Amino acid sequence: MICTGCALLCDDVIIINDSGNLKVRNACRRGAKLIANYKNLRADATINGKKVNYEEAIERVKEIINNSESLAIYGMDTISIEAQKLAIELAERKEAYIDDNSTFCLGDFVEMILKKEIPSTTLDEVRDYAYVIFYWGTNPFHTLSRHMSKFTYYPRGKRRQRGYEEDRFLVVVDVRRSHTAKLAKKNAKFFEVRDDLELIQAFIDALDGKPPKIFANDVFRVIKEMEKSDFNVIFGGLGLRYGLKGKYDKFLEMIRKMNERTKVYFIPLGCHPNMRGFNELLYGITGYVNKYSFKDKESKEDFAFYNLLFEEKIDTALIIGTDPLNSLPFEYAKKLAKINVIVIDPRENFTTKIADVVLPSAITGIECGGKMKRIDGVEITLEPMIEAEIDDVSIIKSILNLIMEGI
Amino acid sequence: MPLQFSKYLKIEVEVVVARNSFQAEAVDKGKMSKKFVEKSAVVFMNEDFARRNGFKEGDIVRLSRRGRSINVKVFICETSPRDGVMMPNSIYSSYLADFDNFKRFRAYIELSDGDVTKPDEIIDQIKNKNKK
Amino acid sequence: MGITPMEIYKLLPKTNCKRCGETTCMSFAFKIINKEKKVEECLPLFEESKYEKQREELLDLLKPLEEATETGLIVDESKCTGCANCIVVCPVHAAEDPYGAGIGYGIKMENPILRVEDGVVKVENLKICRRYGKNRILCVACRENCPTDAITFLEG
Repeated sequence: MICTGCALLCDDVIIINDSGNLKVRNACRRGAKLIANYKNLRADATINGKKVNYEEAIERVKEIINNSESLAIYGMDTISIEAQKLAIELAERKEAYIDDNSTFCLGDFVEMILKKEIPSTTLDEVRDYAYVIFYWGTNPFHTLSRHMSKFTYYPRGKRRQRGYEEDRFLVVVDVRRSHTAKLAKKNAKFFEVRDDLELIQAFIDALDGKPPKIFANDVFRVIKEMEKSDFNVIFGGLGLRYGLKGKYDKFLEMIRKMNERTKVYFIPLGCHPNMRGFNELLYGITGYVNKYSFKDKESKEDFAFYNLLFEEKIDTALIIGTDPLNSLPFEYAKKLAKINVIVIDPRENFTTKIADVVLPSAITGIECGGKMKRIDGVEITLEPMIEAEIDDVSIIKSILNLIMEGI
Repeated sequence: MPLQFSKYLKIEVEVVVARNSFQAEAVDKGKMSKKFVEKSAVVFMNEDFARRNGFKEGDIVRLSRRGRSINVKVFICETSPRDGVMMPNSIYSSYLADFDNFKRFRAYIELSDGDVTKPDEIIDQIKNKNKK
Repeated sequence: MGITPMEIYKLLPKTNCKRCGETTCMSFAFKIINKEKKVEECLPLFEESKYEKQREELLDLLKPLEEATETGLIVDESKCTGCANCIVVCPVHAAEDPYGAGIGYGIKMENPILRVEDGVVKVENLKICRRYGKNRILCVACRENCPTDAITFLEG
């Protein structure tokens, strides 16, 4: 089956049914435990915390959405593209706001890739060709555990037959010596930085032929290694995103200058299984990857879900497959308690505790199928173990139908 | 201003927020589970940092920032920042963070006599302050 | 982690009595590490009460040896994230399973040395490990690429 534990969507996971006992092979801890615990802490249909049947709950959702004058739909990074499509359609009908976690994650980078402002590639190409592999502000050992063994540093590939000790060069940039950084041994370099922008400037200076202010020898050495190959790749995570402090232009300048000397590609490393799918889908429909208003027909910072909350611009939030009470900073999360909250999720979470209505769904990849996009934009068709009667697609479809009646 | 006496020394420290797969496993066990608290209400520090500042594994410490505070448990972990501490992504780290300082922020840390904060206490904060 | 023959030797009677079949206590210590001899074969150590204290100490020291596999490999599942670095770097896997572990995929060969099951690495078939048997090579590729130290070797 396809594992939906993270955005790698590993396609070699095998489930063995050992007389009722599920054994999961090849999936990492993150993935295997998602599969093994899929029956844990499932959500019930509730209205104001009281158990109701599904029909009552969806009837209440219809009322709330019909009465809403300013609706935001949020989340969707763990559901299928098919379900995302329906959620976007609902947003369009209601002239609502739509946003996902990528707004404070790596959506900006995905947008640059889709607009061809930064060259990108696929993980399969990385396996076959990449020589210098950067992990910048990301610790895939914990977030995408098989990233290095399945696609980048360790596997042998078409033009990388001799393995990691000779045919790859690893660079890790982080503010701490993470587990990924610990792997940077031979043919590798770990940059322990205080400020990511300083290292970017050091690379820019070196590429301009000026002496870098920090890590001078190492920066020149890494550039020399990159010049040995016509295929290098930088994987950037949230550490890079926040380390840049909004100065994306500096990063783009570095990439551009690197590409004058050699070839380097960029892939952002987010963790949610189908965040990339949502970004690409919304981009295809509206020209923007996230924080979009169907009323204003544009995307801007003000339309980010957390800003809509903070500025109290919405009266209702439809939250699908995410837990903003867990992930949003307190000043934003506390505003959620003021408005109508509808949650569609397979599991109980912190947001379901404050929700007006909860609609229990199926776990995508395990109990319902569809398509998702891997971290590098490659589309993967899911192979669920079972087909649940009610899933995100059927729930959002019902809401759409009920709302159409109202119009 | 009157002198303030505090039982324990309070220091300012940089907190790095980073995911770890053991905490992710606890999320799958369920966010209301004991395991979730065990793996989320934690602060990691390296041995040297702990020794210098008088912390040891299993201590309960109070982390505070901008008028909000939580009690979490200390774990020794060699991958923590050289001169700071580390927390996993969860309702606990989110309670202290903001978007200007989402992955790295400064907070105060001191030993505490209290118990580890429960997620419900944070959720009550989220609810009470508003639905009055 | 890791036990040296010297540490074992220090806790033996050091009389070179040869009752174990070895000529010296030092060579007996080596054989214990290689699992060719059992500590119980040192009869004086167990028969004479004056050795009681060092016997207890030695048994304590050798505890991890019992838990270790024939090649000295010890897996601590609680530290493993299932990243599969160990499986992919293993030179035997690369040679025997070029289209599975060799290119990063889950194991496709029958009876691999290691396999990830339920999210953690498990030892399956050490007979093909380069560390196994008489003409062994002290390969440490799997341990070297495990940043959480879930894999260790007895001799350190």
